[in-house]
Amino acid sequence: MKNRLRKTAEPGSFRDPHGFVYYHKGSVYRQVHPEYATVFSRIEKAGFYQHLIDEGWLISYQKVSKKSAFDHRATLVLKVKPIPFLSYPYEWSFSQLKDAALFTLKLQKLALTHDFSLKDASAYNIQFLEGKPILIDLLSFEEYRVDAPWVAYRQFCEHFLGPLLLTSYTDLRLHKLLRTHLDGLPLDLVSHLLPKKTYLNFAIAMHVHFHARQQQQFGARHHADRHYRLSKLSFMALLDSLESPITKLTAPKQPTEWGEYYTFTNYSPKAFAAKKKIITQYLRQSKPRTVWDLGGNTGEFSHLASNQGIFTVSFDTDPRAVEINYLMVKEKNEKHLLPLLMDLTNPSPDLGWALTERQSLIQRGPAELTMVLALIHHLAISQNVPFEKIANFLARLSRHLIIEFVPKADSQVQKLLATREDIFTDYHQDHFEKAFHHYFRILEKDRLGFGSQRSLYLMKRK
Amino acid sequence: MVLLLLFITLIFPPRVQAYLDPGTGSYITQLLIGSLVGGLYLIKVYFSKIVAFIKSLLQKLSRREKPSS
Repeated sequence: MKNRLRKTAEPGSFRDPHGFVYYHKGSVYRQVHPEYATVFSRIEKAGFYQHLIDEGWLISYQKVSKKSAFDHRATLVLKVKPIPFLSYPYEWSFSQLKDAALFTLKLQKLALTHDFSLKDASAYNIQFLEGKPILIDLLSFEEYRVDAPWVAYRQFCEHFLGPLLLTSYTDLRLHKLLRTHLDGLPLDLVSHLLPKKTYLNFAIAMHVHFHARQQQQFGARHHADRHYRLSKLSFMALLDSLESPITKLTAPKQPTEWGEYYTFTNYSPKAFAAKKKIITQYLRQSKPRTVWDLGGNTGEFSHLASNQGIFTVSFDTDPRAVEINYLMVKEKNEKHLLPLLMDLTNPSPDLGWALTERQSLIQRGPAELTMVLALIHHLAISQNVPFEKIANFLARLSRHLIIEFVPKADSQVQKLLATREDIFTDYHQDHFEKAFHHYFRILEKDRLGFGSQRSLYLMKRK
Repeated sequence: MVLLLLFITLIFPPRVQAYLDPGTGSYITQLLIGSLVGGLYLIKVYFSKIVAFIKSLLQKLSRREKPSS
């Protein structure tokens, strides 16, 4: 949406020949091509789309004039409700991916009862809107053909089942494989990495281990002229056999660095309250519509923004912290907070075809305000990133910045320096302000007080 | 298992057209799983109906037995 006047095709929407997404004047559109237009109309007439939209399971749309079409191939043009922040499966916590998987199966079961079927089961078709998964691909359904198997079964296993099993049974950090395998994890890899005990689980043995063998055995064989038959009952049973094991999966309870962060914080309750008060004041002063909380941990301070109705993305590098944050969002039915996994020292890059299919963090910005709380020492000391580079990066992410400076005397910094030589002679407040002053105007500065030497700043990009 | 696979692969159903490659191995896998769990699923779905049917049957039987006793 960089050039708002010109129509711009969504670079990640090109694989399905039935249509694609594009942007124009800040709005989102989807054009539908002739070969799918009749299918779309039939599904629409059956009331299926409206049912899904009413339930909040499908992105809402309105038909608009063909004059708004991107090109001559359009038979239908749909104006689609925009998503405030497009997230990708490799940025989701375990439960986000699990909920997206179960949601996909729920849609498919429902579709089958209405004689429709999902023709794809890509995790990228699911987004989180107002805290819940939603299908954003309006071209995903097709009419159910009697006894036809599920075309998207393989994709479902590779996009959802495989990654969920690996993170649950092997290691939570394996979700990162989704970033290198954009079209899902190859099942032979999943089979290879899963513990041997999973062979004793019927569902995993069949959907992953046996499936992987069959793929290897039949992979090179031409199948175009061979037809397969799966009754609707068996189809429903297949979906059930996927749903049951996924429902039972849990995130492993391995200890991570930040999952218990707020239990071990060095703030006094008064300093903690003062910090919240100052941040709330800064938010009121800068009036952002979007906030990115970088290093948001379990979302303690992200809520200060989201509770004011500001759409807030709470990023953290720790899968356990993001998991806790997401589960709280679910429990409290929060509509304005989106927890996501993001390693700021190696944030999501441009990926996929022509390096435009999946956008980098910077491409999806800028946010109107970024919060960087109790993070600067981790970037500057743990990761050896100079203040100048941190300031430069943050200036590319947002217009306003709320940042906390943690001095060397702080016990959290001392903890970081305990096991290494202190080579950080430049790590002091004057240098911090000088480095940031190059990119930002300092609007406010407040000492936290109540025994804490930390300072909070509100800055505006120059 | 091998015989079952052969049986399944010899079935001739309608042709499927899709922009995704469904994969022959994936098709065979889902057909096998579908046929294996189809019966169990049927039982699961109709479990409550079966239970209700058995209950009503038992009630009928107990009613018949009462007059004789």
